[in-house]
Amino acid sequence: MEQKTLVLGVIGADVHAVGNRILDYAFSQAGFKVINIGVLASQEEFIRAAIETAAEVILVSSLYGHGEIDCRGLREKCQEAGIGDILLYIGGNLVIGKQDFSEVEKRFKDMGFDRVYPPGTMPEVAVADLHKDLKF
Amino acid sequence: MELTVKQMDPEEFTRQRQEVLAQWITGKDVDFEEAVVYHKNIPLSKVFAHKLEEGKRQGITFAQPRAGVALLHEHLELLQYLQDEGGADFLPTTIDSYTRQNRYTEAQAGIEESRAVGRSMLNGFPAVNHGVAACRQVVEKMQVPVQVRHGTPDARLLAEITLAGGFTAYEGGGISYNIPYAKDVSIESTIKYWQYVDRLVGLYEERGVSINREPFGPLTGTLVPPAISHAVAVIEGVLAVAQGVRSLTLGYGQCGNLLQDVAALHTLPVVAEEYLKKLGYSNFDLTTVFHQWMGGFPQDEAKAYGVISWGATVAALGKATKVIVKTPHEALGIPTKEANAAGIRTTKQILNMLKDQTLPMTKELALEEQMILRETRAILDKVLELGEGDIAVGAVRAFQAGVIDVPFAPSRFNAGKILPARDSQGAVRMLDFGNLPFDTEIKAFHQERIALRGRDEGRDPSFQMVIDDIYAIGKGMLVGRPRSKEAGLRWSAFEERGAMSGISQCEIK
Repeated sequence: MEQKTLVLGVIGADVHAVGNRILDYAFSQAGFKVINIGVLASQEEFIRAAIETAAEVILVSSLYGHGEIDCRGLREKCQEAGIGDILLYIGGNLVIGKQDFSEVEKRFKDMGFDRVYPPGTMPEVAVADLHKDLKF
Repeated sequence: MELTVKQMDPEEFTRQRQEVLAQWITGKDVDFEEAVVYHKNIPLSKVFAHKLEEGKRQGITFAQPRAGVALLHEHLELLQYLQDEGGADFLPTTIDSYTRQNRYTEAQAGIEESRAVGRSMLNGFPAVNHGVAACRQVVEKMQVPVQVRHGTPDARLLAEITLAGGFTAYEGGGISYNIPYAKDVSIESTIKYWQYVDRLVGLYEERGVSINREPFGPLTGTLVPPAISHAVAVIEGVLAVAQGVRSLTLGYGQCGNLLQDVAALHTLPVVAEEYLKKLGYSNFDLTTVFHQWMGGFPQDEAKAYGVISWGATVAALGKATKVIVKTPHEALGIPTKEANAAGIRTTKQILNMLKDQTLPMTKELALEEQMILRETRAILDKVLELGEGDIAVGAVRAFQAGVIDVPFAPSRFNAGKILPARDSQGAVRMLDFGNLPFDTEIKAFHQERIALRGRDEGRDPSFQMVIDDIYAIGKGMLVGRPRSKEAGLRWSAFEERGAMSGISQCEIK
């Protein structure tokens, strides 16, 4: 079976590294080729890594609450870079304060994300969605 | 400037100061002489170091929250609430993450957007952008001492502005605000940045203004063995005192096992004083801070209060001078002011109930203390050896050599070779020692306890065990036991691809 490539990273000025390590391990164990760009990653770094490795999915983590500011325009930048159809997943503590998740999800889907995960989601949920979205 | 533990050259300080104050427009409002006069008019009840010493004398543990929002009036309202409704003994001003990375333009955009949408879009108070006068409003409005809390590798400008702004305590250090908070900044650079901050504090001290300094104890907050955080705390303490810092608060983050945590709190000031004195420093006041559980929290608020209470219990029994409080919203990110105040009240209830109780010395507690002291000394002696007596030089070389190694750190200047895991009682031990300079006896102690856990669980200790430990408290346990059959199904996808038989196969990078 062909190995699918994912770009994984923590966006913006965020330095939360623990979950990033666990996701790297979990997705690798699940058979994906993981390109981990680590913490403090800019939108441009995600896109560059995705183009260079012909990745099919960009998985963005954001744990520190600035996700809304940091992610705006990512889909548009992907389009400009010629990878407009790439799958965009995001998960973590995406906003400041305890907000209704369905509203948060809508806000990020409107921004062009395909999957939006609340805090505390286990890696296997994303693995299952990857299988569905990548049809394998 | 060559790296050394020695006090910074005055000319070098002046040269850097011009550069630092020009980094953002608000730097021009810093006037050191005027700030000294301003500080002298702050009542003693609002001076951090003074209250800490008072608490230490009386054997009290104080409670302090974390808190900060984008706009000044909202920040004032938040702190006022935590003081009046939460009963906070000390207040914080937590700085936003853009400021922590010196991205003041982005912080400015965050301030403006917060104004436009009517809610804070930043995870803290952008003190550099707000400037000296706004900081003074924060200090003046509150009745208790206020501290700057952040996570900034290069915090020189932030220190200039907030200290001129009347704050009487400043968190951070050249290692503890690098390794967990940066990816590409060398330890040599951050030690130098923080020597500037410590020297600035030293200059205030020389003028009779007391500023408390607190290295960040918990590091990555994820299964950090006490000896490693102690070694870093002692090094940062020495670096600070060498620059003229007098009021020093060393920190430790809760691991979860009562005896190990109390032993860590007991030994931290002992080993710090030992090395400070050995290296020729005597002019300092030492206090301790305990951080309630820094890892993943349960989402359920009732369960979160349980975690908070356990942290408060350990802080009280370990006789920490203060405790940094978590909130029932921890699992979801930045808390509301109500949730934050509730965390403080929960904590204070326990602190008050336990203030007259101590944990009796038992054989088991003595053993934990002895092990932490032995391990910390092993690391520190190697650091001094590598640095040929200079602890600043030794620290850089120790990280290069993996002699100090912080688990789960984002920094590429950290070896990342050690692997911690809990033993059957929940104490944090070593599964892989990396290059830590431990003798065979210390190693045998850890290996024996980890092996016991493996036998208890019928599995070989592996990275999966570590992952289970990381998730455990969020899922209602301390030790990450193998999942029950039902829960285990969710992990079957990983396990099928080959159970890990040993740490040599770990892919932790």
